[in-house]
Amino acid sequence: MRQKLVSALLLASMVGTALTGCGSKASAAGGAVNKDGIKEFTAFFAVPGNEINDDNEIQQLIAEKTGCKVKETWLTGQTNEEAIGTLIAGGEYPDFVDGGDATVQLYEAGALVPLDDYIDKYPNIKEFFTDQEWDSLRQSDGHIYWIPQFSNIYGEERECTHNDEAFWIQTRVLKWAGYPEIHTLDQYFDLIEKYYESNPTMEDGTANIPYTILCDDWRYFCLENAGEFLDGYPNDGSVIVDTDNNKIVDYNTTPTTKKYFEKLNEEYKKGIVDPESFTQTYDEYIAKLSTGRVLGMVDQWWDFSSNAEDAIKTAGLDKAGCNYVPLPITIDEGMKNQWHNSGGVLNVSSGLGITTSCKDVEGALQFVNDLLGQEVHDLRFWGVKGEDYEVGDDGMYYRTPEERANVADTAYKASHSCPYSYFPQWLGTSRDGKNAMKPEGQEQEFYDGLPDTVKECFDAYGVKTYVEMLGTNPAPGPWYPMYTYSSTMTTATPGGTAWALMDEIKHQYLPKVVMADNFETGWDEYMKAYESCKPEDFISEMQTELERRIEVAKKYE
Amino acid sequence: MTLSSSNAEGVISLDENKVKEKKKSDFSRLKHQKVLLIWTAILTVYGIIFYYLPLGGWIMAFQNYRPKDGLLHSKFVGLEKFKLLFSDVSFLRVIRNTLAMGIINLIVTFVMAIVFAILLNEVSHRGGKKVVQTISYLPHFLSWIIVTGILHDALSGNGIINQLMLNFHLISQPINFFAHEKFFWPIVAFANVWKETGWNAIIYLAAITSIDPSLYEAAAIDGAGRWAKIKHVTLPSLKPTIMILLLMNVGNVLNAGFEIQYLLGNGLVQNVSQTIDIYVLKWGISQGDYSLGTAAGIFKSVVSIILIVFFNQMAKRHGEERLF
Repeated sequence: MRQKLVSALLLASMVGTALTGCGSKASAAGGAVNKDGIKEFTAFFAVPGNEINDDNEIQQLIAEKTGCKVKETWLTGQTNEEAIGTLIAGGEYPDFVDGGDATVQLYEAGALVPLDDYIDKYPNIKEFFTDQEWDSLRQSDGHIYWIPQFSNIYGEERECTHNDEAFWIQTRVLKWAGYPEIHTLDQYFDLIEKYYESNPTMEDGTANIPYTILCDDWRYFCLENAGEFLDGYPNDGSVIVDTDNNKIVDYNTTPTTKKYFEKLNEEYKKGIVDPESFTQTYDEYIAKLSTGRVLGMVDQWWDFSSNAEDAIKTAGLDKAGCNYVPLPITIDEGMKNQWHNSGGVLNVSSGLGITTSCKDVEGALQFVNDLLGQEVHDLRFWGVKGEDYEVGDDGMYYRTPEERANVADTAYKASHSCPYSYFPQWLGTSRDGKNAMKPEGQEQEFYDGLPDTVKECFDAYGVKTYVEMLGTNPAPGPWYPMYTYSSTMTTATPGGTAWALMDEIKHQYLPKVVMADNFETGWDEYMKAYESCKPEDFISEMQTELERRIEVAKKYE
Repeated sequence: MTLSSSNAEGVISLDENKVKEKKKSDFSRLKHQKVLLIWTAILTVYGIIFYYLPLGGWIMAFQNYRPKDGLLHSKFVGLEKFKLLFSDVSFLRVIRNTLAMGIINLIVTFVMAIVFAILLNEVSHRGGKKVVQTISYLPHFLSWIIVTGILHDALSGNGIINQLMLNFHLISQPINFFAHEKFFWPIVAFANVWKETGWNAIIYLAAITSIDPSLYEAAAIDGAGRWAKIKHVTLPSLKPTIMILLLMNVGNVLNAGFEIQYLLGNGLVQNVSQTIDIYVLKWGISQGDYSLGTAAGIFKSVVSIILIVFFNQMAKRHGEERLF
């Protein structure tokens, strides 16, 4: 009898779990109100990021002011497309999402809520873009589904860091050579070779690595697209736009790109290019940079600054001159370089969206609106007055050395700071007309916060900021940048298929070209494989888009 | 099973009473086994829900599936996705890689496990045997991400392998193992052997302990040494176990792996590193072509089933142990 009872109970519980297992997961999110009366939302951003502590102080302050709190999660161990593909296959979403390059997939899966009917109700959101910009965000069905968060300038532009791609070099190399003017690719490698010859190791005896190339998955831009910049063109990303006749040019096959790879091949044979370049992972690369051993590389500032640059500072290697500064490199002397563009770049291909799983769309948008208010914006990026920054007699914000050290300390940041860094945010000048929206734009504070070795380097070149090291240029035209289109392409069109194949072939052959015993035969093999991807399909779709963008821009003139 | 079949055959020759009696006893037996039957029913339902119902998703392979339209409203395209699949050169390459790595892994891990089990069985020191066995099966519990991390470090330019070879003057320059296609399959095979040999050997060790000791005594009386005992007693006694495990593993040949290739691969070796599973991930999830990914998955399942049935028949023909 007893046995029967036990088995009956077991049976009941098993059936019970089986049934609930099939039902939908009850999600606690969606604007549920917690015991303190604060709405809680969830967010997923398809980029790697730092999780903050649950009891983060500024997050709590913002929650008290806005009545909302967002639990952010970030990409780990996957590509953004895999993460978003998995979300779509599961059919359940966080309230907020930014899918990066895969954002279009979310739209196509019907996972996002159209925002255009709501926007007018929220003044801070409405103010975020001009009508033309809002229109450029409309998708094929005429609705707006996401808000690009970055590169939006309020008032006067304030930019000190060059957040983008460049040839970087450690200040100790420049100092050793007496701060020479370096303008061409040949000069750059010449300097690195000479320095390496007389300084094969660091002070503590570890071997220097003259030049390394990050080539891990989507981050292989560090190898792949320097050709367009060397030719003096800005970062259109996937193609060059010839401004004389508004024609798309494929930078993969230009003479300059060939020269660039020939140079890399030559340097590889000389032992200047790190032999582990093409097999290292991103983590291994960052670990290498953090030891201060790497003299130079091509990379985007955002790709290595928040981890490697901070690690160099924390380890005290800044005194040895291991921080990086950008150099205005082109293929020949006397060319105009466009490594840096002013005016901010509206990347229409991705942004913050609200998903169909969100049960309180208005509450979510109200929160976004509140985040853009000046007081909360200051809390996000400057912190708490008296704790994270001080106000001078002239009303300008500045930090004490101790506060600066806190900002570089990851443990402090996790428990104290809460920038909500993938929510919409302003660059440029604060609404008070004096301070910068973000500390990075506050010229004096930025300069005071630099390591002494970098200051010395800047002084030698007569500049105050990273941007001045390169010079700046306005955006070349209304189409800029073209990568916002190529990153939305899918294999549904011939051009998109070609784009995917080109990507695969380049991943395989570019390292081979650099490592080839005979450069010419290696290059010919690569070109043969490259032509078989039908790049012309891709180019012609890009041309169509370029013309469309120029047409659209005319309407607003 | 036997009950019902004997019933069906004998029904004509039996008189009615006997039939009734039999039926009654059938019923009472059913009643008697009620608990067992309920458990079987639960497991059957479990199997249907978690193994058979998801197969409904296979319908995607015959559609131009879009998450927005769902399974019910996506357009049917027949076998178009399969055509696309088999006209894709990279898919054929992926099949080749999967088969090659699957077969290499199967042979190497299989042979190593048997050899290891027999060697371990020959160790007479009990404590030593236990220690070796425990240490050797521990790597089984490491996840691939850790194993690939170890491999990456050990095989890197200044990793232990290169340093050893440099010190012994076997090479003059560190070898970049992950940059050459020829090293990739051996590295994967080595990793599998390192991780699974100890674990796989457990079954053989168990089988060896169940061998009748009198067989060894008889062999010793006939003048058999250690080697002869292994050859004429241990191996023949292991044969049924070996056959069953071989059959089960053959069906897994196409599961050559996902994590290790995914984590160790890079652009330079992608021609030899990508497996069917990586292909499915790439097209199905990353590129959002769920239909193509499903088609590739179906292909893999069908080939696995064919392999299992084929080898089972072979075993049957040769009078060996078999699965079904």
